[in-house]
Amino acid sequence: MDIIVLIKQTVDMDQIRLNENNEVIAEDLPLKTDVLSKNAIETAVQLKEKYGGKVTGIIFGTEKATSSMKEAYAMGVDDGYIIKGYKKSDPIITSKVLSNKIKEIKNDLIILGNQSSDSYSGLLAGLLASELDMNLLSNAIKIDVDGDNVNVTMEAEKEEITMESKLPAIISVAQEINEPRLPNVMKIMAAGKKNINIEETDVKYENDDKILSDKAPENKRKKIIYEDGNGIDEIAKILKVVK
Amino acid sequence: MRCLIFSDDADNLKEIISYFYKKMDIDVFCNSEVLDYGANNVYKYNDGFSDNISEYLIELYNKNKYDYIFISSTNLGRQIAGILSDKLNEKCMPEIFSFENDYKVVTKRFFYGGKSVLTEETDFKIFTVAPGIYEAKKVDKRSNLIDAKLKNSRYKILSKKKKNTGGNDITKAKVIVSIGRGLGSKENIEKVMPLVDALHGEIAGSRPVCLDYKWLSEDKQVGLSGKKVKPDFYIALGISGQIQHLAGIRNAKTIIAINKDKNAPIFEECDYGIVGDLFTVVPKLVDKLKNN
Ligand SMILES: Cc1cc2nc3c(=O)[nH]c(=O)nc-3n(C[C@H](O)[C@H](O)[C@H](O)COP(=O)(O)OP(=O)(O)OC[C@H]3O[C@@H](n4cnc5c(N)ncnc54)[C@H](O)[C@@H]3O)c2cc1C
Ligand SMILES: Nc1ncnc2c1ncn2[C@@H]1O[C@H](COP(=O)(O)O)[C@@H](O)[C@H]1O
Repeated sequence: MDIIVLIKQTVDMDQIRLNENNEVIAEDLPLKTDVLSKNAIETAVQLKEKYGGKVTGIIFGTEKATSSMKEAYAMGVDDGYIIKGYKKSDPIITSKVLSNKIKEIKNDLIILGNQSSDSYSGLLAGLLASELDMNLLSNAIKIDVDGDNVNVTMEAEKEEITMESKLPAIISVAQEINEPRLPNVMKIMAAGKKNINIEETDVKYENDDKILSDKAPENKRKKIIYEDGNGIDEIAKILKVVK
Repeated sequence: MRCLIFSDDADNLKEIISYFYKKMDIDVFCNSEVLDYGANNVYKYNDGFSDNISEYLIELYNKNKYDYIFISSTNLGRQIAGILSDKLNEKCMPEIFSFENDYKVVTKRFFYGGKSVLTEETDFKIFTVAPGIYEAKKVDKRSNLIDAKLKNSRYKILSKKKKNTGGNDITKAKVIVSIGRGLGSKENIEKVMPLVDALHGEIAGSRPVCLDYKWLSEDKQVGLSGKKVKPDFYIALGISGQIQHLAGIRNAKTIIAINKDKNAPIFEECDYGIVGDLFTVVPKLVDKLKNN
């Protein structure tokens, strides 16, 4: 089975600092692999281990994305493409760039995350399914392949739904589907030596979205903190209005 | 201005209609009979999937020339938003929690997993709407109900399982006692229940507690990927206060935190905090509440 996994690299959001105006300082932040992309990689590799085949990773990112691709290799991805030219979160552009590449690679299944950890957009699966005219299953917590059928259990708001679909299909995964593996040193070393295919995109961004502000949410909390066993009386008093 | 709203979740749908009521003319495409919240036409479907729902929405959009399409950010909603964005070749602004169109459209959404709020001016037509945008309110106006017949889908459902839900809806609670990994075990829930009872509150939890350890059912998860709550009092017990958790409690009136780690980020985002072991602080607090 030929599987493509879509991997996003984001800034490390835990390292974000604010300036004196409460605005995010976005420059020079360390980068890391998007949380859900790691679940997607783990899913793809587990499917390969179970059903055989090959996993190809694609990142639309910058030249710095090699670190994420190496991590993917260490986890078990066989081959990887980095398409350079990513500038900002723009799902239509990302889907155009990724679908152009996907069309060149033989595939039965495309795996990606349900919502990426920075933008949380969750639009990519639908955009790609429509663009590539593939079957779409999202927020998967269980995937079973049977010949050219795939059964997927999806986590919806109030129920778990198991659906059947034909391959090829595009499946986005939920965080609960698995626990991404931590590769050992040998695998990490071997991954470092593997070739990464690096390409450039000619898809262009339009300038149609104006950011008026990018600030941390306002914090008007009182922040009265009690230590050393204090505060019970005060808090009990505040909570008394409840009764 | 006219808009088309899609939602497969009646609660989200009511919130979205209420948010736009009187700001524009509203038509709705949904699978529930939500007829007294202010929409003009309610197109009701049964058992739809991403393909046949998208097809119907595109027909409606082309026929009625809506200015905007709002889609509730449910699992199905996001699939459909992506498909519509591609098929209509219109950009979609995801996860908005505020929309104004005085003379230009200005939206707000969280970015960087909740670390920042992006305020953006756009000419986009499609938006996904984060849950909890507004309080749903019934109005006097009654909507037209139209039966929407969907075409056949390429998908087939094999089985459905209702998720465990633990009774009351935490988004409506006035007092929430919320537990985190600091509680240590499921058995320890009974040690905090006296506080929940004393305050006539609801119990809720962080993501690990609801999703990974299943100490509570999933509908009790508070946060970015859980419920956005707005109680008068939110009491966080053994919750560190990661940004994804905080995204769910921004609208709480008063936040009280009990955590043994003085440096836990929750103390930056609370009104009152006690640095201490929750297993000693909670019983003392319950005693005080009972004796007053
Ligand atoms: C895409 C994405 C979405 C997410 N969505 C959500 C979401 O919706 N909701 C959510 O909650 N999380 C979410 N998370 C997870 C989030 O990042 C944190 O991992 C999670 O909130 C941590 O839960 P916690 O505070 O219970 O656990 P921890 O971070 O482990 O904190 C436990 C706390 O308990 C304290 N403690 C321990 N023992 C005691 C004691 N005896 N007395 C007092 N205090 C004690 C510790 O000091 C610590 O601060 C999401 C993550 C991602 C990547
Ligand atoms: N630039 C990108 N390159 C490769 N994969 C991506 C990219 N952006 C998003 N993805 C994938 O799509 C998933 C969902 O992203 P989104 O729909 O933007 O929330 C992510 O978890 C990734 O698996």
